Amino acid sequence: MSESRSVPAGAAPAAAARLESFSYDDAIVRKFLFATILWGFVGMLIGLIVAIQLAYPEWNLAPYLTFGRLRPLHTNAVIFAFAGNAIFTGVYYSTQRLCKARMYSDGLSAAHFWGWQLIIVAAAVTLPMGFTQTKEYAELEWPIDIMIAVVWIIFAINFIGTLIKRRERHLYVALWFYLASIITVALLHIFNNLVIPAGAFKSYSIYAGVQDAFMQWWYGHNAVAFFLTTPFLGLMYYFMPKAAEGPVFSYRLSILHFWTLVFMYIWAGPHHLHYTSLPEWATTVGMLFSVMLWAPSWGGMINGLLTLRGGWHKVADDPILKFMVIALTGYGMSTFEGPMLSIKTVNSLSHYTDWTIAHVHSGALTWNGFLTFAMIYWLAPKLFQTELYSKKLMNTHFWIATVGVVLYIVSIYSAGVTQGLMWRAFDETGRLQYPDFVETVARLIPMYWVRVVGGTLYLTGVILFAYNILKTWARRPAGYVVSVIQAPALAREYVEEPLRPGIDVPASAWGRFVNLTFHRKWERAPVLFSVLTFVAVAIASLFEIIPTFLIKSNVPTIASVKPYTPLELAGRDIYIREGCVNCHSQMIRPLRFETERYGEYSKPGESVYEHPFLFGSRRIGPDLAREGGMKSNLWHLRHFQNPREVNAKSIMPAYGNLITDDLDFESIQRRVDVMAMLGVPYGEAIGRAPEMARAQARLIGADLDQTGGGPGFETKEVTALIAYMQRLGRDIQGDQGAVATKPGATPARAPAAGAQP
Amino acid sequence: MAARQDDEHLIEHNYDGIQEYDNPLPRWWVYLFYATIVFSILYALNVPGIGIGKGRIADYEADVAAFRAAHPQDAETVSPEQLAALAADPSALEAGKQVYVTNCASCHRADGGGMIGPNLADDAWIHGGTLANIHTTIVEGVLAKGMPNWGKLLKPDQVNAVTIYVASLKGTNPVDGKAPEGTPVTP
Repeated sequence: MSESRSVPAGAAPAAAARLESFSYDDAIVRKFLFATILWGFVGMLIGLIVAIQLAYPEWNLAPYLTFGRLRPLHTNAVIFAFAGNAIFTGVYYSTQRLCKARMYSDGLSAAHFWGWQLIIVAAAVTLPMGFTQTKEYAELEWPIDIMIAVVWIIFAINFIGTLIKRRERHLYVALWFYLASIITVALLHIFNNLVIPAGAFKSYSIYAGVQDAFMQWWYGHNAVAFFLTTPFLGLMYYFMPKAAEGPVFSYRLSILHFWTLVFMYIWAGPHHLHYTSLPEWATTVGMLFSVMLWAPSWGGMINGLLTLRGGWHKVADDPILKFMVIALTGYGMSTFEGPMLSIKTVNSLSHYTDWTIAHVHSGALTWNGFLTFAMIYWLAPKLFQTELYSKKLMNTHFWIATVGVVLYIVSIYSAGVTQGLMWRAFDETGRLQYPDFVETVARLIPMYWVRVVGGTLYLTGVILFAYNILKTWARRPAGYVVSVIQAPALAREYVEEPLRPGIDVPASAWGRFVNLTFHRKWERAPVLFSVLTFVAVAIASLFEIIPTFLIKSNVPTIASVKPYTPLELAGRDIYIREGCVNCHSQMIRPLRFETERYGEYSKPGESVYEHPFLFGSRRIGPDLAREGGMKSNLWHLRHFQNPREVNAKSIMPAYGNLITDDLDFESIQRRVDVMAMLGVPYGEAIGRAPEMARAQARLIGADLDQTGGGPGFETKEVTALIAYMQRLGRDIQGDQGAVATKPGATPARAPAAGAQP
Repeated sequence: MAARQDDEHLIEHNYDGIQEYDNPLPRWWVYLFYATIVFSILYALNVPGIGIGKGRIADYEADVAAFRAAHPQDAETVSPEQLAALAADPSALEAGKQVYVTNCASCHRADGGGMIGPNLADDAWIHGGTLANIHTTIVEGVLAKGMPNWGKLLKPDQVNAVTIYVASLKGTNPVDGKAPEGTPVTP
C-alpha cells in the first residue's frame, strides 16, 4: 500500500547509495487507534454524566461518583486517554513514513502502548477513590506521575531514535511539532508534579500558594498548548494534505508559526490568574503573550485551510475533509477567543464562569475531536486494508456531532455570560442585585439541560464512529499485507545543493535571513532541532519562574497568618479528596462586586502555607476564601448531610459519607510532619498532632450536640471539614473564631462584609 | 488540483508524497502579528512593576470610593410605629413571607419551627421579641451563631417586610418545633 516514491532532495548521488529494505509497524498504530476509540467513548460518557450531575444533583453518588471526583476523571480521560492515544496513533503512523524508517524499537513501542493504557486504568481507579493532587489536569497522585514520566521518556527515546535512523534527509513540519510537544510535555509534567509523598497515594506540592498557582497554570495552559494544540497541528500537517491530496500552502508560514508558537505559548499561563494574588506583572506578561499568540495560532489554521484552495468542491463530497474544515475552523475560533479572554477586562467577567468551559469545549470538541475522527476515518481503510464500512454513516456522524457541538457551546456560552453578569449586577440602592449565590446557579439549569442534549448528540456520533470503524475492522483480510519498502540510507556526508543567490534565494544576507533559508540546515539535524526547541521553551519559562520565586515583594508576609491546626489540615485533605475545588474558589479578586459579596480581597501572604494552592478556577458554588465564621457548625453539618435541606436550589452533592465515616486521627501526624518538612512552622504539633486534633474535634462535637445536631460527631470526618471551613479567611480578620471551633475561642467582633446566605 | 494558480512555486521536497508551496506570508497575517506586538508594548507601559500604571489595587479602591459616593448607604432607620403600621398591611406580610421563604426558611424552617436556627414561632426570644429587636437582629445578624447580617443582602423594605412576617409567626407553635431558647416575652 505504500512505497517509496521520492528521493531525498539534494541528496548526494542517490542511485549510488545501497537500497535498504524495511517495513512499517502498523500493528502498533492499530492498537493505539482502538485505544483512542475506547477511551474517547469512556471519557465523553463520563463528561455526559458530570453534565447531568450539574443539572440534576441526585445523580451524585457519594463517595465515589460525585461531581468533585468525576470531573477530573472526565478531563484526564479526554485529554490524556482520548487525545493522547489519538496523538500516538497519528505520530506512530506518520513518523515512520516521514522518516522512511520503522519505529526505533518495537519493544519500546509496546512498552509505550501498554504503559500508557496502564496509567489510564490507574487514573480511572484512583480518581473516584479520591486520590488527587487537585491541580487541574495534574490530579494524578505521585506513583502514577512517576509512571507517566517513565512512559513519556520511553516514547521520547523511541521517537527521537526513529528520527536519528531516518532515511529522509529533512524533517517535515509535522515532525517539528511532535518533537516540540514531546520535549515540552516532559518538562511541564516533571516540574509541576514535584511533591513530597505523605502516604502511598497522598502528597503535598513542594510549592505553596501563589508560587504553586503559578507553576500549575504554567503547566495547565501548556497542557492545552503542547498536548492539545501542537501535536494536533503536527497531525494536521500530515493528514490534511494527505486527505486533500494537495501541497501545503506555505512552507515559510510553517516555519514562522511553529517557532513563534513554541516560544510564545509557554509565557501565557498566568492569564489564568488575572486579579488573583499573583503579582500583576506576571499576569500581564501572560496576557500580552496570549494576545501576541493570536497570529501564530492562526498561522496553522491558514496553512491548513488554504491547503484546500481550489479543492473546495471535494469538501462537499468527502466527510473526512468536512471534519477537517470544522476542526480547523474551531481551532481558529478558539485561538481568537483565547487571546480575547486573556485580556483582563474580559477576563474579569469570564473568569470563574462557564465561559471558560465553553471556550475549552469549542476547541476540544472540534479541533481535537473532529481532527481525530477525520484522521481515523482516513486511516482505517489503510490500516485494515479494506474499504470503510459506510461513508453514509460517517456523514451522519459529522452532522450529529456538528449539531451537538453547536448546542453544547451556545448553551454554555449563554450560561457563562449570564452568571458573570448576575454576579456583578448592582441595584439602584448600591446593593448586589443577586446577593444569594444560588440564584445565579438556578438560572443556569435550563442551559445545563441543553448542554446535556448537545453532549448526548456528540456521544451518539462517537458511537456511530466506533461502530463504523469496528465494522471496517471486521472486513479486514485474513492476514495483513506487510509491504516491504526500499529506500537508500542517508549518506554520512551531506552536500547541500548550492542555492543561486538572486535566483533561488535573495542576494543579500538580510534577504536570505528573512527568507528563512537557514532553517533547512536545522531540518537536517534532529538533535540540534531538539536543543533549539528546548532552549526556546526553557528560556521563556525561566523569565517568568525566576522572578516569581525570587522576588520577595511578590508575596508580602502577613504576621497573623498561621498554619492550619492538625484537625483543620485533616479537613483540608478531605476538601482536596472530595474535589471541592472543582466548584468552589478560594480567591477573592479586588473587584467591587467580589468584595461586596465575599469580603476583603485575597492577599498573597494569606496562602503561604497552602501546599497545594486551592484558588480554584470555577465557581459552581460560592467562593469560600472568607467562609470561616459565617455559618454555625450545625449549618455546615446539615449542609454536608444534604445541601438541599438547607438550600432548596443547591446543586451540591450530599456527602453522607462524611457524616458516618470515622476520621483517621493517627494519619494526621504524618501529614503534619511532611508539611513541617516543606517549611510550614508547625511547632508543637510535631509529635502530638493526633492529640491536638482530638481536642479540637471534641469542642466542635460538643457545640454540634449542644445546638441540636446530636452527639458523637467528634470522631467523624465531617468535624475536620467543619474545622477547616470555619478557619478559612480568619487569619487576617484579627480574631480567633466567632464560632466555637477552637480552644479558648471568644465569640466577639463585628463581621467582615459580605456574608453568604 | 487543477484550479491552482500557475505562478505558485512548488518546493522540490516531498515527504511521503506531501509537498509544500513556497507561498509568501499573507500580508494581513503579518500585519495582525505586528499589531498585537505593538499593542502589547503599549499596554505594558501602563502596568505597575513594568511601566507607569497605578495597578489593580489602586483601580479597585478608586472604583469602590466612587461607587460609595454615588450610592450612600445611609443607616436605614425605621420606627417601631412604622413597622407596626406595616404589620397591618396584608401585601407587606405577603412580601415578607416571600423573603422569609427564600432566605430564612433554610435555617428556621418554613413554618418558623426552627432547625439550625432557633424556633421563631414560640414566645421565647434570644435577642428580644419586639418589632424593633427583631429588625435589629435581622439587619445585624448573629455572626457568632452563623446568622448573616441581612442588612447587607436585603433591601430596606425587604428587611421591614420580613420583620413583620417573623413577628406574625409568634404563637403559631408548629408541630415538632425546636425547644424554646432565650427569654420568654409575654405579649
